[in-house]
Amino acid sequence: MTRPIRLAAAMLATTLLTAPALAQQPSSITVAWYGGNWGDAFKACVAEPFSKATGIAVNAEIGTSTVTLAKLQQQKAAPTIDVAWMDGGISELALAAEVTDTLDPAAIPNLANTLPEAIYKNGATTYAVGTGYYSLGLTYNTQKVKAVPTSWNDLWKPEFEDAVTIPSPANSSGVPFVMFLSKIWGHPAGDLSSTFKKIKELKAALFFDSSGAATNAYQSGEAIIGAHFNVGAWDLADKGLPIGFVVPKEGAWATDARLHLVKGTSKKEAAAKFINQALTPEASGCLAEKLYLGPSVKNVAVKPETARKLPWGETGSVKNLQLFDWAEINGLRSRVVDDWNRQIARK
Amino acid sequence: MSGTLRPVLLLCALPAAFFVAFFLAPMAVVLIASLTTAAGQPTFAHYLRILADTYHWDVLWVTFRIGALTTLVCVLIGYPLAWYLVRIVKWRPWRRFCVILLVVPLFTSNIVRSFGWMVLLGRNGLVNDGLIGLGLIERPMRFLGTELGILIGLVYILLPFIVLAVGNALAKVDPALEHASADLGATPAGTFRTIIFPLSLPGLMAGAVMVFMLAVSAYVTPALLSGGRITVFSMLIFQQYSSVFDFNYGGALSITMLVLTLALVAIAGRLSEPRRA
Repeated sequence: MTRPIRLAAAMLATTLLTAPALAQQPSSITVAWYGGNWGDAFKACVAEPFSKATGIAVNAEIGTSTVTLAKLQQQKAAPTIDVAWMDGGISELALAAEVTDTLDPAAIPNLANTLPEAIYKNGATTYAVGTGYYSLGLTYNTQKVKAVPTSWNDLWKPEFEDAVTIPSPANSSGVPFVMFLSKIWGHPAGDLSSTFKKIKELKAALFFDSSGAATNAYQSGEAIIGAHFNVGAWDLADKGLPIGFVVPKEGAWATDARLHLVKGTSKKEAAAKFINQALTPEASGCLAEKLYLGPSVKNVAVKPETARKLPWGETGSVKNLQLFDWAEINGLRSRVVDDWNRQIARK
Repeated sequence: MSGTLRPVLLLCALPAAFFVAFFLAPMAVVLIASLTTAAGQPTFAHYLRILADTYHWDVLWVTFRIGALTTLVCVLIGYPLAWYLVRIVKWRPWRRFCVILLVVPLFTSNIVRSFGWMVLLGRNGLVNDGLIGLGLIERPMRFLGTELGILIGLVYILLPFIVLAVGNALAKVDPALEHASADLGATPAGTFRTIIFPLSLPGLMAGAVMVFMLAVSAYVTPALLSGGRITVFSMLIFQQYSSVFDFNYGGALSITMLVLTLALVAIAGRLSEPRRA
């Protein structure tokens, strides 16, 4: 009675073990991306067309950039993730943690159609590629704020007292935003004391630590003007709320969502194909339509209605974005957080 | 002897393994990180940096003050509520309904409930609208970004713990004791003071300790309701892990908080001991 079962089990095991070796390509790859509408958009714009074209299924591993980086560090010896989306800033940390592999232009031909700003190199090799930009611009309640704000300094106007919001350092944009303000005010690089002094004078309703908290504040009227991501601000406007988003004259701080090939993956070829798919004009245009991500691929046509919601505003381009050197931000990170705690986040 | 011991050991092995893998091991990782530099050298520098800096003591003071006030308010509201549910309500369906009302919010995430309070306590929120409508205040009061706002949120979230703990203790008090007390001429207030309250004290203490521990370690509720204007200790820990990526210093902050909280709870337990006896 037991012998036939054992025989069947052995046969089944042999089949399962040899099947992947016989196949020319893996049946699936695992891609790490973010939750919520971001993950939905990555799935619809990149993963589904990829599966359709190659027959390779895509398993989603959902998490924020920092969580993904932590997973990659733990799996270094035998990664289960093949491709990972991580934001600017975390991408540099991933490079330092040696979990990213080189993106080969021969395996990913669409790298040639990508904006030079979106190709991230470590020496001569490419370790990450941007799949779309988003910015932190001026967001305001169009009913409560009569004149369209034009400058970040408008947040300090007495009429907006106790109704302003900007990110706290717990948010991924918090630390870079402090450095952005320092730069537009012309304060000396490396000395943030005068910048903190001015932030301290800001009569804020709240300092948001998550994008959701910012959305909530604009929605409830707790904040009527301040900073927010173009993705979140236009999402509110699309739902019919009186919310406007502008890129002020000083510009807007911006970053991007980047794709990485995980070092040590056994499915390198399929992973490269996936990255190539994300860099097609169709995928880039689709992400622009769904998330208002500024395309990192050259010559992507978007609807005029979408174009005005992109991170660089109605008439801009990637040149209008203030893309900071993350190495510099990461170097100052601990000091900015500490100064903020002591000077801003206490009574 | 060994024949009876073996099944016991086997039965204990699984929970013990679970405890080691999911509690002791992560704790050990945090503890080791807190005692080493980023390069892995042993050091006590992270603790010195915390303990020698008055800023950290300020934040600890705020954290423990909010924790203590939350516990106090929870006890003041929770004890009468438990009394009402156990001693006053006679109709069982109503009692059951009340308990369900009390427990159902526990099934919703903290985040959702804290967001709810953000909406309620906002400048244009229901609470301010109500107070203005009643003519009690003229201009919206500021709740978000104040300790009062955090307190309201924490009390709401932690109240069920104390009601359930006290209710359980009250239900176990033998009615014969009260009858005896009355027979011997004690007034109802006297019976409560000398018989029922001391008997419910273990439940009250257990509930209070639970509320205090959860209040000082709470992250989501203070983070959302403080609007980034008040810092509690758990936020400092979160910052080190999520935006500064300094796991060594973050680990030292966690252990500091853990040790101080346990010390406070031990002192509280010692203080209530003589009255229990």
